[in-house]
Amino acid sequence: MAHKTYQYCIAENWGKGFIENNESSKITFRGYPGNVWQVPAHNKNANLWISKVLAVIKTKDEAQTLVDVEVTANQTTWDNDSVTDETSVEKIERIGDRPIDIILEE
Amino acid sequence: MTTYKEIQGSTVQNYSGDPANPIKGQVWYDSSAEVLKYSSEVAASAWATGGNLNTGRDSLGGAGATKDAALAFGGGPPPAPTAKTLTESYNGTSWTEVNDFNTGKAQTAGAGTYTSAIASGGDQYSGVTETWNGTSWTSQSNSPNTGKSQGSAGADNTNALFFGGSPHGTNAKTTYWNGSSWTALSDFNTARASIAGAGKTYTAALAISGGTSPSTFNTNVESWNGTSWTEIADVNTGRQSGGGTGTQSSALFYGGYNPGASALTESWNATSWTETTDLSSARSGGGNAGASNTDALLAAGTPNSVATEEWTGAGPVIRTIPIS
Repeated sequence: MAHKTYQYCIAENWGKGFIENNESSKITFRGYPGNVWQVPAHNKNANLWISKVLAVIKTKDEAQTLVDVEVTANQTTWDNDSVTDETSVEKIERIGDRPIDIILEE
Repeated sequence: MTTYKEIQGSTVQNYSGDPANPIKGQVWYDSSAEVLKYSSEVAASAWATGGNLNTGRDSLGGAGATKDAALAFGGGPPPAPTAKTLTESYNGTSWTEVNDFNTGKAQTAGAGTYTSAIASGGDQYSGVTETWNGTSWTSQSNSPNTGKSQGSAGADNTNALFFGGSPHGTNAKTTYWNGSSWTALSDFNTARASIAGAGKTYTAALAISGGTSPSTFNTNVESWNGTSWTEIADVNTGRQSGGGTGTQSSALFYGGYNPGASALTESWNATSWTETTDLSSARSGGGNAGASNTDALLAAGTPNSVATEEWTGAGPVIRTIPIS
């Protein structure tokens, strides 16, 4: 069985105290759309943080689905924001690049 | 009973608060809080979550001398009709809604402090400018730079520098605001937009990264001495709409997009840029504030985030000793 590098969970960032300095200096947090968080697998500090924020563990595939829903919604919003006769370059100049797909790592 | 002095050779010192630079293992009495404290370890530089904004948005402006005293204003998503007039003030713990802009705008550039700030440019493409006095915004004369996504630096609403912006690749303007009027100064070397800025005065600033086109991610950094721009060491990874904080000699460059949202953070020590701990959430177009490469704040950003992150440089972790 492949060794997992990361674990995924969902938790809503309540603001101050959600991730503290002494936590992010010990492990790497990556937040994704849909309140999805990636932290190291098999890591005591990551597990302590998951307990602290009452995060719900998700498999990578479940987390990927949650991220995809949010990204697709953002892409649709971008696609529907059009001005007549506007070139793609002009559109990017006006509202920025189209949101790109996010692929979670194992 | 054995005393602390007998073990350590000295008594526990009294401080009203904490000592300036406690060493690991140092114990003291905080007479203000009336608690015994010690320095347990030296923490690495890192981001931590701050209080969430009341209203999520991106492409907003920011100002503030430190991460604990900041202002976030305007934002989008663009275009102009949906740009927000909202302003929020941060006290290091939470954001409070304060008086709105007179003219809603996104992709505006900000400089100054949370009691004396300026916002100029944006998706109105008119150089619309407003100044903040700690209570309300006042409309000022339009800037000669009508672009959005300019870089900025400055001390307050009487001392601010703005540079570049849209359209990508052709806008190299530098403008100075003295509190009552605009002055056009020397252009910078590589015209670009979505630049990060750093600097606490209009005579010493950095123009960091950005793009010469919407899909180009320049690594260029230029330094301003009050008269002209000089190319200095590049950042490691070019990004647009990243955050910039600090001074000409101690700055932080974080987030942005390249082309997806980035969490990268780079620290400037007056000589070179060094990659350091990433943001916990990748994003671009947030509001920025902060003092240096050890004190920074990122508020909101794409897509319509409410999240705030606070950057603290390496330093002691102070803990309270429980006494039963």
